[in-house]
Amino acid sequence: MKRWRTKREHQIYSSKLFQALCRSRRTSSSTSAKELHQTADRVLSITAKGTTRWSRAILAAPLTAGTNMKKHKKAKVTVHTRLRKPVVNREKKKLPVVERKLKALRRLVPGCRKLSCNNLLEETSDYIAALEMQVRAMTAITEFLARGEAQAPTDRLGSIGNM
Amino acid sequence: MSGRRSRSKQSSVSSITDDQITDLVSKLQHLIPELRRRRFDKVSTSKVLQETCNYIRSLHREVEDLSDRLSQLLASTDSDSDQAAIIRSLLMQ
Repeated sequence: MKRWRTKREHQIYSSKLFQALCRSRRTSSSTSAKELHQTADRVLSITAKGTTRWSRAILAAPLTAGTNMKKHKKAKVTVHTRLRKPVVNREKKKLPVVERKLKALRRLVPGCRKLSCNNLLEETSDYIAALEMQVRAMTAITEFLARGEAQAPTDRLGSIGNM
Repeated sequence: MSGRRSRSKQSSVSSITDDQITDLVSKLQHLIPELRRRRFDKVSTSKVLQETCNYIRSLHREVEDLSDRLSQLLASTDSDSDQAAIIRSLLMQ
């Protein structure tokens, strides 16, 4: 699967992300890491062009400022339902290992909590490839920015041109 | 799923045939660096799924770290339009 692995996609994503980050810098005085991460995810999802569930889920999620990116976990409801359940449930074996792993996977890939096994694994492989590209692109941006930082302002233009 | 010849007829709507899982899981195995070198060994399904979860989590962490570094770098740079244009052109090479 070539998707997410071409140079062109990498260029488009990293440049779009950089633009988005510059834009958000102009509008607010500082960008928290959380907001930046969110921007990176959203631009990544836009690049997916609505073809995958995980990307649609990211774009559909409300924008959160601050630290609450994840949904609040529901508080455990105690007692009443447990009384109604037959005793048999207590003796039932836990879910088989594979099912448990699938469940964990469903929680990691956005928007896939109720997906069938087939679709889940497809979404997962696409999601992994996209994340890898995200890492490559963000690393590239970081390196360019860091390189610019390391050099004196007057030298910056000249030496970057020589790279 | 339709079109697949399922050797075992045990699957109801809710349970998943082993064949389906192992088939897709083998594809997943190629994607995970940890398991790619063991391509010719048999890796159990649960191991592949476990490594997949671990790998996704580590990718998430990497992106989080990069977001951290980037947000610090952006805060400290001037990001005047000249520099931004240069970086954009570098990214497009």
